[in-house]
Order: sequence, then structure tokens, then C-alpha cells
Amino acid sequence: MNQEELNNRLTEIKDKLTAVEQPADNRIWLTCEAENSYEINKFLFEEVPLRFVIATGIDSDDCFEVLYHYAYDETGCMITLKANIGDREKPAIESIAPFLPGAEWIEREIHDILGIDFKNHPDMRRLILSDDWPEGVYPLRKDAEKPVSRPDGEPLTRPTVQSQSPARRTVPLSKPVVVVGPFHPLQEEMEFFQLSVDGEIVTDIDMRISYNHRGIEKISESLQFDQVPFLVSRICGICSASHPLAYVQAVEELAGIKPPERALYVRTIITELERIHSHILWVGLAGHFIGYDTVFMWAWKYREPVLDLLEEITGNRNNYGNVKVGGCREDVPNDLIPKILKELDGIEKKMEMITKAVLDDPVLHARLKGVGVLSKADAVKYAVTGPTARASGVAIDVRRDDPYAAYADLDWNVISQPEGDVFAKAVVRLLETFESIKIVRQALEKLPDGPVAAEVKEIPPGEAVGHVEAPRGETFHYVRSDGGNRPVRHKVRAPSFVNVPSFKASCIGGHIADVTITLAAVDPCYSCTERLAVVDNNKVIHDYDTLLQLSREKTARIRKEML
Amino acid sequence: MSWKIWSLKKSPWVFHVNTGACNNCDIEIVNLLTPKFDVERFGIKLVGSPRHADALLVTGVVTRQAAPRLQEVYRQTSKPCVVFAIGACACDKGIFTTGYHVVGPVDKIIREVDPNAIIAYVPGCPPKPEAMISGIVQALSVL
Ligand code: SF4
Repeated sequence: MNQEELNNRLTEIKDKLTAVEQPADNRIWLTCEAENSYEINKFLFEEVPLRFVIATGIDSDDCFEVLYHYAYDETGCMITLKANIGDREKPAIESIAPFLPGAEWIEREIHDILGIDFKNHPDMRRLILSDDWPEGVYPLRKDAEKPVSRPDGEPLTRPTVQSQSPARRTVPLSKPVVVVGPFHPLQEEMEFFQLSVDGEIVTDIDMRISYNHRGIEKISESLQFDQVPFLVSRICGICSASHPLAYVQAVEELAGIKPPERALYVRTIITELERIHSHILWVGLAGHFIGYDTVFMWAWKYREPVLDLLEEITGNRNNYGNVKVGGCREDVPNDLIPKILKELDGIEKKMEMITKAVLDDPVLHARLKGVGVLSKADAVKYAVTGPTARASGVAIDVRRDDPYAAYADLDWNVISQPEGDVFAKAVVRLLETFESIKIVRQALEKLPDGPVAAEVKEIPPGEAVGHVEAPRGETFHYVRSDGGNRPVRHKVRAPSFVNVPSFKASCIGGHIADVTITLAAVDPCYSCTERLAVVDNNKVIHDYDTLLQLSREKTARIRKEML
Repeated sequence: MSWKIWSLKKSPWVFHVNTGACNNCDIEIVNLLTPKFDVERFGIKLVGSPRHADALLVTGVVTRQAAPRLQEVYRQTSKPCVVFAIGACACDKGIFTTGYHVVGPVDKIIREVDPNAIIAYVPGCPPKPEAMISGIVQALSVL
């Protein structure tokens, strides 16, 4: 279906809409009343069908708005449906989660931060606010005072496995429960999982996030347009080039700014270097989880030259702070190009070695194939993105579908695999590293001369979206401006937000020994957990070490059987 | 110097606690263990339980949800235990100071349960691995 056919398709629901705007060929904004939103969403998701990206809740003084963002990847079109909720006292709207499980979390989030009720939502528990957050305080409402974080000296509830309120506990305690989280020394965020198990088999999974919720969207409203990139690059350390880029692209679209050619190439180089080090990092961690610590040490060693390159270009190993509205802050100096090319050669050789070692290893085939399968249908239902989607046969990639930076001028391939298991995810990431190296090489060769930043005067009122293919998937930013010097609403959707809930589809039915690697295969901003314990009637029977041990023993067993 | 402190200085075992960080500080900590920096040659080892730890490496702003968990982890360590606040976030909440879900910084939350806690600060966003090593060495040498 091309863009014209898509537009025709959308006219079928014209009489339910109150407004249709198409500021650019591949940006469509639809408006409707809250009563019709369920039907229209169902039409967009199931009939057209579009890929659900995220929803944004906005408090716009006289009413609440819920924005449903969709993407049509064949033409790179972003479609946003705006539903207005007039009732400020008891804002409510029909939930779309019953037919779109990928929307379950975001509706819970909007309920947390704005107090909008989603009717018929399957599970309206708290998601991102802490357990002791006062009821009825909605931090993203415009009239919200800054909530007292916590009065000094107020006693803190001691966390134990039982500390969850009975209402929150979905599994009766008589069933054995594996508790994962919230702390683990390997890295990254805290997350809390409860896996119900029947013998060795996982029968259900429940998640609790909030530990890392810093309220970035609200902080963003207090910063100037030019300061926000520094904030959003600190959303996630490994995506610290992608987040600012998505934000900056949204603002540039809003203000109609065209960054100079060279800036586009520099952006490409930085984001691809980031993808290389992120994928290598994942390979190392995955090796660690299944007991291949050599892979872990090697991979991380070979990742270092990439960080050094980034440091040389931008001044920091991570959190580059390099993109800004209108261009880039730091240029890639021409005399550095030979050095970058040389380092890339080195990295490529090492990656070839690791890739061969992984792809030719019969033990890894036996250990990872058919494990943690996410079927194509589930991948669509949960609206996953990035390598997680591509390993399930959903070949979407923002870089190709809605090209930004300099990707359209360069020659590279989208890697995808049909199987959906952990092995496929590993293959996708490994092969993508080579594509990224290819991209950086070409970008360096074609690097045009000229300035790297355009002058920016004012950001007019309006709204726009920007999205970027981060290492873990599509990063999406929505920015609204009222003509002042700060965004009035800035919504961020990191890829893990949609990838993580897909654990529900990929873990259930699997083995406990496979859980660590299945969870890690998504490469969530979360990895293995050091505080992982199997609790049976509140008695710890497996702790993290035993679970890691189980995973490693399984590898060892397979290896022995193969000899 | 008490013998307890003396015994802790030689090969400190550390436990890593993320209380709402952006992962960068955390990844740099893991980086310390890998071949380029390899702190295990100094006897510094990342352990899997706070009960084994001589020091906590705390990163992040301490979100409201994480605060009681951080206190609990600190409670579980054997004392004396040095708390390292790693990164701008852990030292003074960094760029997230105004966040509504942020109750840190780390020293405030730890001092609530132990007013005499030993706390060392390694600023940076993220601190380079070299800075972390230097911070740990300096802190241990003044104890
Ligand atoms: S100090 Fe900087 S790098 Fe470290 S967690 Fe905070 S924002 Fe991330």
C-alpha cells in the first residue's frame, strides 16, 4: 500500500473525526472525540493495519488529550490520533488494551501521571509511581504542585517479598514464585519480576517498574529547548546519541529547520558507533549468562576502541551531548578520519572472529535455538521494535522506513531473521554490527564539507514527532510548543517500554534455566539480575547464583551430550 | 585505625546498587572489571550479595521507589561499609534535581539509617573508569 492508498483508507473513518491535518506527506494528525476513540483505534490497528507506537497523555488546560501514535512502516508515515476528553473532574476514555496488549503499560502510565481512567482496562494497577506515592496526586497535571517527595524522617517501608499489597499480588503465594530484582550488581536498572513456576516451567510473569522513574518528561517542561538534549541523553546511557537525536528531529520538524549536510553525516557516524558498542556489549553479557565468560571479557575489550573514538570526537566516552537543534556541537575532524577507519578495520576483524565462534558453535545452537521464542504474531501484538522485532521476522527499521540523518544516501541492509528465538536475536545483533561498520565507513568517505550547525531563531507553536532507530529499537519523541522557549509537553518512548512487556509472550512456557537469557535477549535496559530468588512459601530455595548456575549447567550438559 | 578498617582496605569487595541511574555509571563500573581496566588485579571484586560487601558502589539519583530498597541493602552489609556515591546523580542528583520522583541524593538516604556512615564521592557524568579507580584508592588511603 503506498501513501495515497493509505490516505484513501483513512477517509473511510472520516465522519468519526473532527479534524484531519497532513502537514507533510508522511505525517498525519487526526482528531476525534473520546467516545469514538475505541472504534477508530481498532480500525487503525486491526484494519489498516498500522503499528502502534505509543500514547501520550496531555493536560491542555481546558481538557485532557490522549494522543495515539501509529506508524505505517512501508511509507514511514506517522499517524497521530488525538482524542479530547472534555470532563476535567472525572476524565475517562475507553481502553484499547483489550485488543492491543502493547498499549497496556502506557495506559497504566497515563493513569498514574494524569489520573485519566481507562475503562475496561484488564489491569489498572500502578505502574511507574512508587508504592507509597499518595493517591490522587497526578504529577503531570498542570495544576499539580511539586509533590513533596517524602517528608523528612517519614519511616520507609522495609521491602520484602511480601511487601506487595495483596491487591497487587497476582499470584497466590501457595504457588512457587521466582522473584527477580530489584537489585543486581551487573548493571543497569532495577526492575522487579515475579515468575510463577510449575516445577521447572514458567507459568506466569508479572512485572513492577518504577525504581528508575525520574520524572524526565516533567523536568523537560522546565528546561529550554536547547537544554533538553542534555537531559534526554541521560535517559539511557547506551542510547545517549539516539534520544537527543529523536528529540532534535521533532523540534526541527516543528520549526522547519534544515540542518546542514555535514551535520547529518556526523549524526549518522555517532549513532552508528553507538550501535556498534551497544551490540558488542550485549554479546558480552549474553555470553556471561550462559556461562561463556570468555566471550564477555573479549567482547567488552573490543568495545573499548569504539568508546575511545567517541571520546576523541565528542569529548566523552558516553553521554556525548553532541546533537543540538539545527546541527551538531562537535564536528568529526578531517584528520581523525584515517584513524577511525583503521580502528574500524580492527573492530571488524575481531567481530568476525566472535561472530564465527558464535555461529559455528554447536553448543550455542543447541542452547539458544528454540529458546524464548517470540512469534511474529506476538511481535506485532506487543508492537515490539528493533532487533527484538527483526529477529521475529518483522523487518522494520526506522533508518530505512523513514530515513533521517544521512541513511538514505548510504548503502546498507536491514537484517532480519524469521525464528524469533534467542539465537535469532544474537544473529541479528552480530550481523547488524557489520552493517553499522559499513555505514560509518561510507559516511566518512562521503563526509561533505561545510558547517555542522544551522542558526536557530525561534521555535514556533505547534507539535511534531521524531523517531530514531536506537540500538534497541525505535526511540520516539513527541514535542509540543506554545511559542515560548520551553516545550509544554515532551513525551519520550524508549524501545524497552514496548519490548519488555513481550516477556509475557516469550517466557511463559519456558524453562527457569532459560529465563535469564530470554530476559536478556531483548536487551532491555535491564540485564541479568543478581538478586534473583525462587521463593516457595516465602522460603528462598534458589537464589540468583543458583539460577545462573542452572543456566550454565544446562549449557554444560548440552556440551557433554554433544561430545 | 581500627583493625576492622585495616582489614577492609586491602582487597575491598564491592556491591553495586543502581538507584535510578541512566546506566552509564553502571556500565562504566562493569567496565572496570573487563580487561582494559581490570580492577580485580587490586583485589577489588564485584560480589553478588550486600552481605559479602565491604563497600557499596551506589549510582543514580535515588528515586522514591528505590530509597527504602537502598536503605535495606545498606542495612544488610556488614559494618564498617564504605558507601561510594558514583556519578553526579549519586553525589547531588545531577540534572534530575527537580524530578518529582527523586528523593536523593545518596548520602541523605543513607544517613537516615546510619548518621555515621562513611561516604565517599566520585563526581562525573559518568566518571571515567580511571576516575573511579582513583576515587576508590584515595578514599581507602584516607581511612
Ligand atoms: S551521573 Fe551521569 S552517567 Fe551517571 S547515572 Fe547520572 S546521568 Fe547517568
